[in-house]
Amino acid sequence: MMKKLIALALVTLVMMGSVFANGKTETAATTGKAVTLTFGSHQSGLPNTGIVQDIAKDFEAKTGIKIDFQISPDAQWRDLIKVKLDSGEAPDIICVDTPIDLMSSIKMAKYSVPLTGEEFYNRMTKESIAAVSENGVPYGITFPGPKMWLVVYNKKIFSDLGLEIPTTYADFKKVCQSILDAGITPLFECTTNGWHQVLPLFETGGLWLKDDPEIYNELNANKKDLDDIPQLLEIIKEQKEFATLGYFGKDYLSNTWEDKIEPIGTGKVAMVIAELGIKTEIVKAYPQYKTSDFGQFVMPWADNQIIGVNPASNAYFINKESKHVAEAKQFFEFLATHENLQKRFDGQIDIASMCWPEISTRFSEEENAYIKSKETARVVQTSVNYIDNQWMDVGKDLESMFIGASTPEQVLQTIMNRRNEQAKLQRDPGWN
Amino acid sequence: MPAPSYLFIKEPIMNDNKTYSWHFAIGAVVLYFVFFFLPGLIGIGLSFTDWNIYFDKLKFVGLENYKKAFTPEYTQYIGHTIYFTIVTTLLKTVIGIALALLMIQSFIWAKNVQRMVIFTPQVMSYLVVGLVFKSMLHPTRGFLNNALRAVGLDSLAKNWLTDLSIVFPTVMVVDTWKGVGYIMVVVIAGLLSISDTYYEAAEIDGANFFQKFTKITLPLLLPIIVNITVLNVTYGLRVFDMVYSLTNGGPGNATGVINTAVYKEFSKGNLAMGTTLSNILFIILIAMVFVVIKSMENKEVQQ
Repeated sequence: MMKKLIALALVTLVMMGSVFANGKTETAATTGKAVTLTFGSHQSGLPNTGIVQDIAKDFEAKTGIKIDFQISPDAQWRDLIKVKLDSGEAPDIICVDTPIDLMSSIKMAKYSVPLTGEEFYNRMTKESIAAVSENGVPYGITFPGPKMWLVVYNKKIFSDLGLEIPTTYADFKKVCQSILDAGITPLFECTTNGWHQVLPLFETGGLWLKDDPEIYNELNANKKDLDDIPQLLEIIKEQKEFATLGYFGKDYLSNTWEDKIEPIGTGKVAMVIAELGIKTEIVKAYPQYKTSDFGQFVMPWADNQIIGVNPASNAYFINKESKHVAEAKQFFEFLATHENLQKRFDGQIDIASMCWPEISTRFSEEENAYIKSKETARVVQTSVNYIDNQWMDVGKDLESMFIGASTPEQVLQTIMNRRNEQAKLQRDPGWN
Repeated sequence: MPAPSYLFIKEPIMNDNKTYSWHFAIGAVVLYFVFFFLPGLIGIGLSFTDWNIYFDKLKFVGLENYKKAFTPEYTQYIGHTIYFTIVTTLLKTVIGIALALLMIQSFIWAKNVQRMVIFTPQVMSYLVVGLVFKSMLHPTRGFLNNALRAVGLDSLAKNWLTDLSIVFPTVMVVDTWKGVGYIMVVVIAGLLSISDTYYEAAEIDGANFFQKFTKITLPLLLPIIVNITVLNVTYGLRVFDMVYSLTNGGPGNATGVINTAVYKEFSKGNLAMGTTLSNILFIILIAMVFVVIKSMENKEVQQ
């Protein structure tokens, strides 16, 4: 009997041991193996030209430290990384959108290593350092310059059809109808990635600020709600109208953002809401064009004429739980050398500027002149709480509206409900 | 040679002290208690709080999460899950049995190869199947619509994953395609275990194919059908990967199921709501499996 009990105890211990055993205890130092840093990102977090992966190979050749890129679809990344961070399974380097100091941001200050004192902060713009900082402590590194989403259009299609740049929504509709009548899809849209269709709603914050310069603060203090902003519902209705009238084409519910170049390059689509860097992408894929063959204008939703500027972009952070913090910092320093910044910019053709003043922008004189001729305003999602964290959900709400499962009013109500729910969950002082 | 006595531990004739001691079960009981039972109990407890990732201190909120779970926002997920479960269970069972009956016929050429081909999707990852079908079902570039157009069936080329009226059936058909091979293999094993003598006797009595199927095959397959139904129901209620990779619950929330909602709640940091939905799923699962087993048992008794 005693033997049986001892055997049983041993078996139980072995089983428990096998259950609790954790492979993570194995480190490079104890095994002598080369270090591999895991780098988690969404598709849009890394240039689709693979330039960061190329720089990572240079880094590996120089230091022996390998970077293992784990790229997830845009629509899934935000949820996935939050679950991974909470469960302690996040990669060594994490790519997330900034700013990180909003109530509704992913709490990178909680999950990542502070990088105070790093040399590269002397060379980044103040705005970009602010976007990766909380309470004055910087945690991440970021590269793209301020983002501006404009309607980029094919000048030839416009001139062939005798069209002028629209400045009001009514004109925009007329332009789209003329293009549609000519057998061309007026505006490229893609809902599969989950984020692109949301841009018109929140990149037009300039309209909100024009009516009430304090609107962002009032929304954050819960003194006003989104239904106090008539332009927002108007723009949601305009999206529905565009879909119904066929201005987004037939496949917009199946398109992905990665599909955008081919229809524009082949002239099947006349316009796309994009950053100006898209012109370089089109020219690279279709060399018969010059970047000057494409023009740009402000998204005229609800008669908007103010360019939305997003000073923040996605940034890279080092996981606090990583066993290779020193190696990850070494990688950041490598990415931040002047040579690699230039290499990255040359290889990332979809952006027109970097947040590193030592790298010259790619804006043409025409683009610079156009931007300078327009008013600019900060976009909603970097200033108002509980917008950016429900961005993908709003994308799905709009999808529901496009397919007729909900109305514009219901979409707005759902966005408001989600803000209230999240604020209460976070015990936001404005809501409690 | 008589069989060793330990093979008959359940026989009443056995002396009690010859059976395995209950101590042998302690390891399994401890593991079961710590890793299955206890987390389940804790989960039920936490669903009555506001447990979230932002605050360590829990606040008791009573039935608030459950009340919220029965608002239209969440009941649509519950409805979708039950709809998915019922339809895929029926499809997989009916098609699985039909394929099994076909694949045991003597006129079928290279039976084992064909069985393997039908079974192959089962060994593929749900994510891979989802992503491959997503590409194949693209309205303009996808293989399916291009193939339909190539043979002149343009009117059948649809927006498979974005048209509200057909998106859920599409997801269910893809899921059935993946799962039906497994059901077929299980049913083939059941069919081959039925003695030929029953069929020979029935033939002598003049029974036709349909009579043989309903009076011999189905009753003798009943234990197998119970098993596959329970498997299909439990799978259907827990479905996540297939929906997530194929439509991500979209367009809008048209194909959202309980587990995509649970995932969404966890990612929002609302852990209590995620746990509440999991508990509701657990209750539905227990109820449905209980009903299935009981209804099948009754039929067995009737026979």
